[in-house]
Amino acid sequence: MDPEHAFAFRGVHATVGRFRLRDVSFSLPQGYVMGFVGANGAGKTTSIRCLLGMQRIDRGEIEVLGHRVPTPVALRQDVGVVLDHSYLVGEWRLTEVERAVEPFYDRWDTARYHDLLADFGLDPRARVKDLSRGMAVKLMITIALSHRARLLVFDEPTSGLDPVARDELSAILGDFLTDERHSILFSTHITSDLERIGDYLTLVHDGRIVATGTKDEVLDGYRIVRGGPDDFADVVGVPLIGLRRTGVAAEALVATEDAGLLGDRVVIERPSLEEIAVHIGSPAPGRARAKEYS
Amino acid sequence: MTDSARVALLDVRTVAPYRRQLLLTPLLVMAIMVNRPEVLVPGLILLCASNTAGYPFMVSDRADLETLYAVLPLTRRSLLLGHYLWALAIFTATAGIGTPAALILARWQHISFSGHTVATIVSLSWAAFALAVAIQFPLFVRFGYTRVGMLATTLPITLVALAATRLHLHFTPDTTVIALVAAGGAALLMASVAVTTAVDPHRPRTAATAPAAAATT
Repeated sequence: MDPEHAFAFRGVHATVGRFRLRDVSFSLPQGYVMGFVGANGAGKTTSIRCLLGMQRIDRGEIEVLGHRVPTPVALRQDVGVVLDHSYLVGEWRLTEVERAVEPFYDRWDTARYHDLLADFGLDPRARVKDLSRGMAVKLMITIALSHRARLLVFDEPTSGLDPVARDELSAILGDFLTDERHSILFSTHITSDLERIGDYLTLVHDGRIVATGTKDEVLDGYRIVRGGPDDFADVVGVPLIGLRRTGVAAEALVATEDAGLLGDRVVIERPSLEEIAVHIGSPAPGRARAKEYS
Repeated sequence: MTDSARVALLDVRTVAPYRRQLLLTPLLVMAIMVNRPEVLVPGLILLCASNTAGYPFMVSDRADLETLYAVLPLTRRSLLLGHYLWALAIFTATAGIGTPAALILARWQHISFSGHTVATIVSLSWAAFALAVAIQFPLFVRFGYTRVGMLATTLPITLVALAATRLHLHFTPDTTVIALVAAGGAALLMASVAVTTAVDPHRPRTAATAPAAAATT
């Protein structure tokens, strides 16, 4: 057990129907934000469910805040969860939501709950079923932050939020991280959020971890290469990730150490996180090699 | 407060938004049985309380409360026991209101109700309620309310109605029989808790909770 880690996956295999997580290993030191990036169906939600003990794993081990999963139930006091859907009674008013969940949490902070509702512009008299998707996500975030969790786990929290609300969320998460024991796992496909708040990045594709490390390590680990439509035709030994060809150009993602092997016939640029995510998630030929940065 | 008590309280809050429709049935039962005070309590218990006891399962299916249960700091055992605690509270409330109402109606209609009669009515009602819950809850947990709700709620009522008509229950049991009936109801519920706990790992999974690893305490 490593108490310095907010969580750690070690060689995790899990099966959900025909989908499999394969040899998933990544970890986050306490006090940081990890962005968890991948296309729909890549394995983000399954990994998060494994982390939360909602999904049985076939092999490997997962550790959360110094405890091996399945963790003691009391540890859920320390974990705030925001999933991509609401799991509350639709007819509850937001005041009733608090009355329903508050008895279960030792460190529930009523003042914070109401402050966050006000900050998010949520009417305490509103009913859950009348909230838009974005407002429902804000409510789930409010609950997660009101029980003084040490680890927040977000599964696509920003997908229903407008840019202003996403900015508000970034500020609130920034406040949360002022305590160095607080950590966040943040799964999203809106990579601009992670450019702002992510310290670490983990890229997942087809149930496998493609890259994991600090944001700079992951971004520095790849290069976008661009050339003419035939410039990559005779490339051997260099995995071209998500190769795209049009009539006039071709573009692919390659490992930084491989970029030099392509010679000077192609343009080599540092990719954005979105470009990395798009190419890794692309069904085009060329597989990424797993990269783990210490 | 124990976690099971918290779950029972959560069940109260879960069904609270539906209180108007839940109160409608007992009012109808009371109106229909106003001239039959001796069957008022069994009627309320079988037609109202046993259905109400299963209501949190219905709302849970509708609102994905299984995910909420998985996120809350709560063991599955506490959750299941809490649902039974909620059922006991529903029985207590229904019997607590129905019995005085039956006594008032009997007095108003000059029907004599001895303490023994009241004890007989309440113990038989308890046994019928326990049978209903003992059948319903394992089915709700194993298959989900949506799939077996109608079957699980009508089966116990049918069984009790059949027993009442076939066995010609026009006897006046002695105190020992009353105590045995009451104890039998309690034993049924305890057996049901064991069955529900056993089938719980095989419950249907929502997208967010499938298939859950057992949490340790």
